[in-house]
Amino acid sequence: MEFHRDEGKQLNPNYSTLILPALSIGNVGQLAVDLLISSLNADKIGYLDDPNVLPCVGNDAYSPSPLGKLALPLEAYESSSSALTIVQQRSPVIKGKMIEYAKNMASFAAANGKKHVVILSSLDFGRWKNVNMSSGLQVYYLSSSNVDGTDAECERLGWHRLQDYNPAQRTWKYLDALAEEGSVPDEDFLLEELGDEDYYPSLPFAALFSCFKAKGLKVTCLLCYCSEGDNIPEAFDMAEATGRRIGLSHDEFHGNGAGKWITPFSWQSVYGPPADMTLF
Amino acid sequence: MDDVITDIPPPSRLLLEDLNNFTPPPPHLPSPFLVLSSAESKKTLRPSLLIIAMSSPSLHFLHHLSSKTLIGTLVLPEIPFAGNSIEPSLRDKSCNIYTINDADKMIMFVLVQYSVTSERAHAVARVLIGEKIIPQRVLILDSVQSRNFRGKLSPDETIAFKLETSLERENVGDVSLVKGFDYYPSGSVVDGLAAALLSRCQLMKIKGTLCVSWPDLGAPVMSLVKSLLARDVLTGIDYTVDKNYENEYLRLSRRKDRIDSDLYT
Repeated sequence: MEFHRDEGKQLNPNYSTLILPALSIGNVGQLAVDLLISSLNADKIGYLDDPNVLPCVGNDAYSPSPLGKLALPLEAYESSSSALTIVQQRSPVIKGKMIEYAKNMASFAAANGKKHVVILSSLDFGRWKNVNMSSGLQVYYLSSSNVDGTDAECERLGWHRLQDYNPAQRTWKYLDALAEEGSVPDEDFLLEELGDEDYYPSLPFAALFSCFKAKGLKVTCLLCYCSEGDNIPEAFDMAEATGRRIGLSHDEFHGNGAGKWITPFSWQSVYGPPADMTLF
Repeated sequence: MDDVITDIPPPSRLLLEDLNNFTPPPPHLPSPFLVLSSAESKKTLRPSLLIIAMSSPSLHFLHHLSSKTLIGTLVLPEIPFAGNSIEPSLRDKSCNIYTINDADKMIMFVLVQYSVTSERAHAVARVLIGEKIIPQRVLILDSVQSRNFRGKLSPDETIAFKLETSLERENVGDVSLVKGFDYYPSGSVVDGLAAALLSRCQLMKIKGTLCVSWPDLGAPVMSLVKSLLARDVLTGIDYTVDKNYENEYLRLSRRKDRIDSDLYT
């Protein structure tokens, strides 16, 4: 993975927190990162080039009048007011290359002075075992702070550690082994049928979690359950949770009036064009 | 009528195997490579302009330029040569490379006549730009991909958009290569080889423009692409075009219309 900085820009080595999305059902992580970049008025610093990410290009996703600033699949932004780095991922990873991609991203983070990585992702609502809607959308987390995945700050915020997380479970252990330098995939493992207990560690956020941990970085995964559909409400909740976790104050957001969030311009067409009204 | 249950989901939706860390990787394929004439193979090629054509109108127009010279081809090992003709033909599965020389300027064309998967696009883009071939400027011509376009696309309406690298957009000391086209709307994306090529230009700080047109066939879009190439891109270049190309193209458009008709789906 190569980092190409924009003219006159460079990554600030003192910004020790990195936020990035993991691919997931509903794309909630990516939508939440869009919101954070837009609302913090984060500055694009450069692009990441990784052969494991499928190519895509587009027009500027954030400006109210897009003027043709080119958007690429992996972009690095920084918010000087919040002293943090944000990476946005716009296209999928090539099938079967997730571990390689996660290793590359972890190497990039470690090489650029990151100490705490916050990964945003969503989980399939169909896998949620103990439904509790009494307090609205529940945020789950997984942290490298303790071996059992817990984190004092996340607990203080009222969040629950990912259900059934067990670092000794075979698939989590296999991921940890793969995350090490020079590891080779176990072909016998790949041929086995994965059961319910293998579901969470099979997801992209888990690959990133294990690879960042292997580099000695502190990692916090913020997770929410959702179904495929209009996942913008979940994105707002996820962005809000991220702000609380890393201690962002209201002043750091650039929204107007009481609302601090700025919806990216590209969201106007995120679910396709409006219905053809000539039918009626 | 679209089947909302089994139709391919829009691009932002991911399949289970896309989200599985343990999905087996694709089989390893040999790298794509260039085969160039002996005169060109020993040096780095530095064209003033590299045009990479992928859309039907652009392929058709550039194929029929009489004044071009074939200098090589890009080989993608998984694409068989079977069925290709000795003389270059629009029916070939090939990626031939041509030049037109005008005074001290060399213009190169690449006619991409086979399908490059998204997984291979990064590798192909690396071979075409930045290693053996280092262009001063790049123009990529592709079609709008309806699956990635978030606006309305009508088969009766001809439209075209562009995307540019920072260097091209800022055009310090120069004018834009492509004039009069709106930027691709925010929220829509282009993927595949065209995206990989433009990304490569951006990362290597090369002036690059991607033009996408719609629809892929028909007289109006041919006229639009021809006008772009003749008026903006090849201005001042001495070239000739085979007079039959318009009739051939219209026959191709009508044939494809008959095959693609979903009147009786």
